[in-house]
Amino acid sequence: MDHFTPYTYFQCPCTDNSISIRNIGHLESTRADHDDEDERTFDPKAPRANFSLYPLDHLLYCEICHEIRCPRCALDEIVTWYCPNCLFEVPSSTVKSEGNRCTRSCFQCPVCVAPLSVNSEAPAPTGLGAEHAGPAGPFVLSCSFCCWSSAEIGIKFEKPNSIFSQLAKIKNGGDPILSAKQRRLDREERRRDFSDASIPEDAQEVLPLDPNEQLDAEAQFSNLKSFYQSQLADASPASALGFGGEYGYGSPGALTRIMGLYTGGGLADKRSQSKSTPMREACDATEGLQLAKTNADEDLAKLRREGWEGTVSKEQRCEQAHEPHFVSDLRPIAALLRTKRSKRCKSCRHILSKPESKVQNTRFRIRLLAMNYIPTITIKPLQPVLPGQSSLLSPMKPTQFVLTFKNPLYDAVNVSIATPSQTPGRYSSKVTVLCPQFEVGAYIEDAWDDVLREPGEKGGEKERRRTRAETFEGQQQAEAGKVWESGRNWVSVVVEIVPATVGPESGPAFLTEGLEQDNSPMKEDEDILEIPVFVRLEWETDPAHDDGLGAPVSKDKEAKVKRELAYWCVLGVGRIAQV
Amino acid sequence: MSKKPAKGEYIETDTGNKVSRKCQIVGSTNIILGGKTIIQAEVIIRGDLIRTLPSSRSASSGAAQSNVAVAIGRYCFFSTGSALRPPGKLFQGQFSHYPLKIGDHVYVGPSSVVEAALIGNHVHIGQGCVIGKFAIIKDFVKILDGTIIPPNMVIPSFSIVGGRPGRVVGEIPEGGHEAFDLRELYKTIKNS
Ligand SMILES: [Zn+2]
Ligand SMILES: [Zn+2]
Ligand SMILES: [Zn+2]
Ligand SMILES: [Zn+2]
Repeated sequence: MDHFTPYTYFQCPCTDNSISIRNIGHLESTRADHDDEDERTFDPKAPRANFSLYPLDHLLYCEICHEIRCPRCALDEIVTWYCPNCLFEVPSSTVKSEGNRCTRSCFQCPVCVAPLSVNSEAPAPTGLGAEHAGPAGPFVLSCSFCCWSSAEIGIKFEKPNSIFSQLAKIKNGGDPILSAKQRRLDREERRRDFSDASIPEDAQEVLPLDPNEQLDAEAQFSNLKSFYQSQLADASPASALGFGGEYGYGSPGALTRIMGLYTGGGLADKRSQSKSTPMREACDATEGLQLAKTNADEDLAKLRREGWEGTVSKEQRCEQAHEPHFVSDLRPIAALLRTKRSKRCKSCRHILSKPESKVQNTRFRIRLLAMNYIPTITIKPLQPVLPGQSSLLSPMKPTQFVLTFKNPLYDAVNVSIATPSQTPGRYSSKVTVLCPQFEVGAYIEDAWDDVLREPGEKGGEKERRRTRAETFEGQQQAEAGKVWESGRNWVSVVVEIVPATVGPESGPAFLTEGLEQDNSPMKEDEDILEIPVFVRLEWETDPAHDDGLGAPVSKDKEAKVKRELAYWCVLGVGRIAQV
Repeated sequence: MSKKPAKGEYIETDTGNKVSRKCQIVGSTNIILGGKTIIQAEVIIRGDLIRTLPSSRSASSGAAQSNVAVAIGRYCFFSTGSALRPPGKLFQGQFSHYPLKIGDHVYVGPSSVVEAALIGNHVHIGQGCVIGKFAIIKDFVKILDGTIIPPNMVIPSFSIVGGRPGRVVGEIPEGGHEAFDLRELYKTIKNS
């Protein structure tokens, strides 16, 4: 609770700030009128703010648009599908046909989601040559975290590999699942029998399938699908015209239908209309009909017998394909595939990041990170918090913080920052930036840094650091309009903050005129002091710098390009002590 | 061992490892340190748990079987009270330990226990974690504080893992790779 790490979040400029987002979620409407005058001030506590704020490491930068790109204004493109457990790549064609789960032997525990491993149920072989003999079946999937085993749902496997296809053939309890192919063969047989129609009583005996069978969702779907397919084939006018199985646009049947559509009912072929018979609906399990259970006696009895322990939790249920109610209906969860993705700029389609396609290769071919284009911003207290001292901010006590900008560019950057004098929201703190305009020097590679540094000089010729004693007297030393500390590519300025009084009883400290007092209880993290900062960067650059080798190198030194970038940031300074 | 530590807290080796005088390293001849690694006080490393079952390959080559129980790369950081144990299992009726391999820039937080088979490069393991037996953690992975990684779990690169049992809860962003570098952290550990 006492621990607080100061943070800086950046708002991507793709966010639309023109709409005032201050009032969303606020109960009082009287504030709306007041907002007009400063609606451009970004409120980090607004309910929507969370969706546009990112730590710098989440942001990319488009070199064509010269703009920051966030997950909302970048497009993802899948480069590779792979299983997170066996790390095998899955071709996208397989993903399309087989789905987005690993079809090898990678499963998660349906009870606790830990990975399942394949274990032999048989005792280890003993005797001569035992160490060379492979493990004997049957095999089970078992969880080494919660000790669940597929034996609990009555599922055992003959082979230790390709568990996915083995599991697809076994129901919970051990009964075989008829494959789609088996079902099709059976259906064909059934159709033949019906067309005979001479001995309907015997036909029932021939069929191995029970018309009242309880189907699982997959089997029901495949039965329904083939039923409707056969119905469509029967009802198709094409077959009536002698073009059985032909669905192309060129077939006379399709043509008459399309013409009928476009010319309205009047001109439709009366002959085909008269021939179309109304379609029948599925009437038993073999055709995919499942009657809803009208009495739940069986479930109730099971519930009484097994109790709470026998039912699944919400989390367990969500992971399952068909939302079972009982633990005995749970199935091992096949591992969900993961992806490697590249990212493109939404407005110019330029690639922003592109990983190597191989699963185990962690390198990136392209990675345009915002942190290589815009300064990093850090904030810390001027007086370091001593061990044992509370890190909470004291209300109404002026406290000074050091705001540091570090420039990653090879050009010096002019920075201007602006903050509202009072932070938005109910508990409004006073903020003063002592030096809102300054220049941050260019970044120089470490190797150059060493060359440029005079021997015996400690921190580079430009470096200006404060001693500990100076820091101690910082309160008096910090002057308005002056940079606090600086180095070759970094500058620190002092920010003075008077934290608001925060607490359930105390009223807002700096109550703005015309505002009604909001006495609702304090919301979560409302005691965190967050300062919105508007940052504007201006710099001049050689166009060859960022356009790569393609651009002609200009010999004229004056041919520099002016660049400008502006965005909102939020500084998380600390938690205010409650009174 | 009974002598009072006269100098600083850390013993520095030729390759730049800084090993606390208050840590417990058992079977040090079976432990490889790549260099520039920090081992803090009360860390336990069980180098004595070597493989006893001959592997099928080394059985033919005879004496070539290596006795490495724990192999650690460069710029690793083992915080106070953490423990490294080679994992062990029963295989075809015989119990044996298997080597624990750790790559470069691996941070293990205070009081965490590691029994993995393999930990890649640039891995951050938080405080109070348990990395189960034979787990495999690939490069650029962050394990949040208090996570329990179940035995045999494989964690692919760029994962953020949390919970009990641990599951992937997030992805390391493109800009998050540099944060795994432990060179700066190494510099902060001084014998004073
Ligand atoms: Zn954006
Ligand atoms: Zn897999
Ligand atoms: Zn489990
Ligand atoms: Zn762009």
